[in-house]
Amino acid sequence: MFLFTNLKGVYALKKLLSILLASAVVLSACSTGAKDSGSGGEGAAANTKEITVWAWDPAFNIAAMNVAKETYANINPDVKINIVENAQADIVQKLNTGLNSGSTKGLPNIVLIEDYRAQSFLQAYPDAFHDLTDVVKAADFADYKIGPTSVDGKQYGVPFDSGVTGMYVRTDYLEQAGYKLEDLKDIDWKKYIEIGKAVKEKTGKSMITLDPNDLGLIRMMIQSAGSWYTAEDGQKPTIADNAALKEAFALYKEMMDAGIVKVNSDWSQFVGFINSGEVATVPTGNWITPSIKAEASQSGKWAVAPIPKLGETQGSVHASNLGGSSWYVLNMDGKEAAAEFLAKTFASNVEMYQTLNSKIGVIGTLKAAASGEAYAAADEFFQGQKVVSDFAAWTEQIPNVNYGMNTYAIEDILVVAMQNYLGGKDLDTVLKDAQAQADTQIQ
Amino acid sequence: MKTVGTEINPRPRGGYNARRRTSQTGWLFVLIPVLMISIFYFYPMVQAFILSLKSGRGSNLSFVGADNYIRLFSDANFITAVKNTFIYLIVQVPIMLVLAIFIAVLLNDDRLKFKGFFRTAIFLPTVTSLVAYSVVFKYMFGPDGIVNKFLLNLHLIQDPIQWITDPFWAKVTIIIAITWRFTGYNMIFYLSSLQNIDKSVYEAARIDGAGAITQFFKITIPLLKPIILFTTITSTIGTLQLFDEVVNITKGGPGNATMSISQYIYNLSFEYTPDFGYAATVSYSIVLMVVILTMLQNKIGGDKR
Repeated sequence: MFLFTNLKGVYALKKLLSILLASAVVLSACSTGAKDSGSGGEGAAANTKEITVWAWDPAFNIAAMNVAKETYANINPDVKINIVENAQADIVQKLNTGLNSGSTKGLPNIVLIEDYRAQSFLQAYPDAFHDLTDVVKAADFADYKIGPTSVDGKQYGVPFDSGVTGMYVRTDYLEQAGYKLEDLKDIDWKKYIEIGKAVKEKTGKSMITLDPNDLGLIRMMIQSAGSWYTAEDGQKPTIADNAALKEAFALYKEMMDAGIVKVNSDWSQFVGFINSGEVATVPTGNWITPSIKAEASQSGKWAVAPIPKLGETQGSVHASNLGGSSWYVLNMDGKEAAAEFLAKTFASNVEMYQTLNSKIGVIGTLKAAASGEAYAAADEFFQGQKVVSDFAAWTEQIPNVNYGMNTYAIEDILVVAMQNYLGGKDLDTVLKDAQAQADTQIQ
Repeated sequence: MKTVGTEINPRPRGGYNARRRTSQTGWLFVLIPVLMISIFYFYPMVQAFILSLKSGRGSNLSFVGADNYIRLFSDANFITAVKNTFIYLIVQVPIMLVLAIFIAVLLNDDRLKFKGFFRTAIFLPTVTSLVAYSVVFKYMFGPDGIVNKFLLNLHLIQDPIQWITDPFWAKVTIIIAITWRFTGYNMIFYLSSLQNIDKSVYEAARIDGAGAITQFFKITIPLLKPIILFTTITSTIGTLQLFDEVVNITKGGPGNATMSISQYIYNLSFEYTPDFGYAATVSYSIVLMVVILTMLQNKIGGDKR
């Protein structure tokens, strides 16, 4: 009895061991095989017409992709488009681990990447993305979108939404403080702070809400002057001798000291303060429109003005960019089908952009789309203002900067610098320290 | 019942051969975990170490030797992360363990009613998901959160405390959160150990005239010593690997005032342009710290045997 069970155990063990061994062999074979072939491509079997797309934000990007899917169903019904929603952080993480392993297994054919991160992916994984130069005519799109989406003159991304910024304004609060919408047009940030103080005094409302961990406002300010955290090569950090950055830092502190800022710590609080009427203005990207409109009871109280400019820095304009992303095709099986799909939709289809705009509120960066009828429509929520055509006009003025591959690494350094500066340290010293740290960290 | 006869048979049926086969079987059984551990632990550990000697963006890695390890010492972010982690360690672990012992002793009292209820209530935080409780804490400690409202209504403070966005208070929030989550977990170890202490020891002490405090310091603490050592080591390791709470409550902010080492590893891998080599180096620095701290604690608190 005892012996018998024992033997059975040994037999089972042998079986288990052989399975383990076999799987180990298979595993190692997989990894080496993928590394050698480079393009990998076990993801989809050859000749299947199924394209997988990864994107985030169901109300915006996913909805836009669905419109494109419907549009393409009329053009080429043989291709099945499979849209998968993931949080942006998850997409970044999965792409990094997937591409780094050298295997494209489990990765999508088309992926949405934020413009600030695009160069990081394109340069860190040189052969991972499909060259779309033949599909996308760079001249068809807003100039500032081409920098992040191309490398060495080769176009890798299909530019998607515009992150063009505007200043959303509660005109009712302004009137209580004795200002009109006209008074907020063509001003600089100094004047903005002045108005903010009056608003705070008269209405008790804050002028703006800021998250100390997110320097979006700073990015917006410096891009309006054609400046960035890094030099034009996208490599060398330009922090210490950056006039725009220095002015932006000084303005940020002035706002904090003036007591016109309501501090938030995340997105939901940010939107919460807007919807509950805590703040009088929201200078940010146009993608906030759906969130502002979500509070239907405030219809007719909002308007959109161009953002203020930097007063001291030369060349600052009333237009800038915040966020925005583009579509990329991975270099794996199905890339031709995926490129073809994008070519017929996001890369050229003016008509589709009208639908995207009227249904979802997407402001694209395809220049030709701006002449369509949806862009000229008046918006009742914004007191009949032709908001979209305003945004489209500002899009053309956005200075082109090279985001490089280190935007977020440098921003984390600058967030600390900002804390030190707000805490009372000298601005020049703070920026010089940040420069030194960025120089050592970015290699 | 049938096998009883064979079991008590003093002479094994097969003699030498059978015994050898039995020992072979034993080794085969040992082989499974050894293989598993080798494949799933040691192999990745060796690979990670090799990776820690490389640096570069994404897939463009090249060997840099010890450069990554030298870089650690001039990396201000890393130094801040280590400092933050040690602040959590030095402040939070003692508070939590003292609280845990205190609660365990209270709950071990024979006169206490509804023991089961209290034990469950205090242990319950341990079963909550790290992310879920972190998110709840974040809202409780928000500027308009329930904690501020409570303190304001009691007139203990004039203005709301910036629990999440002030460098000092953010650390306090993190410490409160981890303490809430893990005190019950450590309490269970103390409680089970307390129940193993013979009641007659306390009885004898009482007869000799020892008060409650003397009993606690002269009997309870010395008898709990191995468990105190164990919980200190596991809590230390846990704190060094702190990630979920920081990411979900403060995102490491404001600035990097609450950033932990693990979060920095995540940032290096996924938030910035990935440098997996350097991220692996930072991971190995945690291993090194755990080894050193554990050795220290063993030296100070361990038995002399």
